[in-house]
Amino acid sequence: MTRPIVSQTADRPQRSGVLALRRKMIDKLATGMSWLAMLIVVFVLGSILWTLLKNGLPGLTLALFTHSMGAPGAGGGLANAIVGSLLQTGLSILLGAPAGLLTGIFLAEYGANTKLARTVRFVSDMLLSAPSILIGLFIYMVLVEPFGHFSGFSGAAALSLMAMPIIVRTTEDMLRLVPVSMREAGIALGAAKWRVILFICVRAARGGIMTGVLLAIARVAGETAPLLFTSLGNSEWSLDMRRPMASLPVAIYQYAGSAYQDWMQQAWTGALLVTVGVLIINIVVRVGIRGGRT
Amino acid sequence: MNENTMQAMPSADVAAEASASAVSGRPIAIQVNNLDFYYGKTHALHNITLGFPERSVTGMIGPSGCGKSTLLRVLNRMYDLYPGQRATGEVLFSGQNILGSGLDLNALRSRVGMVFQKPTPFPMSIYDNIAFGIRLHERVSRSEMDGRVEDALRRVALWPEVKDRLQASATALSGGQQQRLCIARTIAVRPEVILLDEPTSALDPVSTARIEELLDELKTEFTIAIVTHNMQQAARCADQVAFFYLGELVEVDSTARMFTAPRESRTQDYITGRFG
Repeated sequence: MTRPIVSQTADRPQRSGVLALRRKMIDKLATGMSWLAMLIVVFVLGSILWTLLKNGLPGLTLALFTHSMGAPGAGGGLANAIVGSLLQTGLSILLGAPAGLLTGIFLAEYGANTKLARTVRFVSDMLLSAPSILIGLFIYMVLVEPFGHFSGFSGAAALSLMAMPIIVRTTEDMLRLVPVSMREAGIALGAAKWRVILFICVRAARGGIMTGVLLAIARVAGETAPLLFTSLGNSEWSLDMRRPMASLPVAIYQYAGSAYQDWMQQAWTGALLVTVGVLIINIVVRVGIRGGRT
Repeated sequence: MNENTMQAMPSADVAAEASASAVSGRPIAIQVNNLDFYYGKTHALHNITLGFPERSVTGMIGPSGCGKSTLLRVLNRMYDLYPGQRATGEVLFSGQNILGSGLDLNALRSRVGMVFQKPTPFPMSIYDNIAFGIRLHERVSRSEMDGRVEDALRRVALWPEVKDRLQASATALSGGQQQRLCIARTIAVRPEVILLDEPTSALDPVSTARIEELLDELKTEFTIAIVTHNMQQAARCADQVAFFYLGELVEVDSTARMFTAPRESRTQDYITGRFG
């Protein structure tokens, strides 16, 4: 790469001329490709949003939020699916977040590089990339078949299994970003290790940890596959988590595959609701991160 | 006798005598005897013997990697956090060898406070930064806590600057303010000894001067050990100065004699800037 300069006067101008031109062209090319890639992604995203808005907005009526799902032509809504999604996602985070947080804390602060920690980290990462339908089938074997019926609980359990590894990873990563000097300062005051972790490290990392939890919510809120074998879906209004339970993604899955005009309309609107919900969570995360850094 | 001790012996013996006499009349708060320290297999401190006179400032100087910070981190057992680091010898603090096992480390650290090179405000309000340490060791009422926080902030001359924003985040303070907050946090726990590990190396000259002034006041009440790369700082602040080189204590004496008539040529070379 570095050629020895033989004669400064003769060699330098010529070399810089050719090289500079080459570099300029490569720079232009790379910049152009980046722009192209960016435009493609933005176009796809914009197209999805546009299609959702165009097809979903017309179905956005008050009845959608007040009526449960009904037979084709009966003027049903999605109220039970919306509530079902909220309940199952909410419960899954209530289950998955504490477990994920504690595991993340263990990995970052206590386990570090022990064999146990490495194993847990590996398993958690496996879970992170496991096909969601497998997680649904697993919960089916453990929580549905033994009890003899589908239930909202098992749906929430499946979603929590999806949320947990996300929270584990972000919690560990964020805690590792807390400078050693901060820990030492806490220890130097005579604070026990658990106090330093809980009141200083977790506090310092709370923005990032919250981001992980919100991203986990956004991730599981739109999941269909883990619910197909667990909460199944339910066209009736039901808040009983021991029984089969409706959810937006499953309702969309059912309605979108149907031959009825009004069901298909509701599938579009349901998809719009899920997307907007996830979008709002993501925006909250972005704004939160920006706010936390300044 | 091996080569290491050949070099260290004269200074170690002289050091033991000198530490008692360097700051005249003061009893010794912490006495280090024949301390060796290891980072894994690396032998970082060789047979250190040094006394820290009560309510005076001991400056520790020497080139990077000479072991002065290591010694500081022995005095509050900070090295305990890291497996593989160990110390042998004796460190006597109020009649007890703090290197012994079964010692309540949290209690020790409440009596031997530490301030670090980089300011380390906790991610909480200015008030809670101070209250955090107090709450660890004592139960105090709300009003008493308010008093303790104000007192600690006044001692470091930070009170006028922050009294109207005690609930604001401590991370919004300037570097110098943050370091004074960290000192306030340390003295609020009411320790007997304060260890300072290059407390001003990340600060501007004005902030540095304020911290140095502060040391003069604090030494009326606390025993202070300060590690510094800045020779002028050692000359200005310390009552006795210890010079470390390659893990050995070369020489310790009163600040005046150390900077005017050091016994060792290595000390002379270092303080005149010939190396380091």
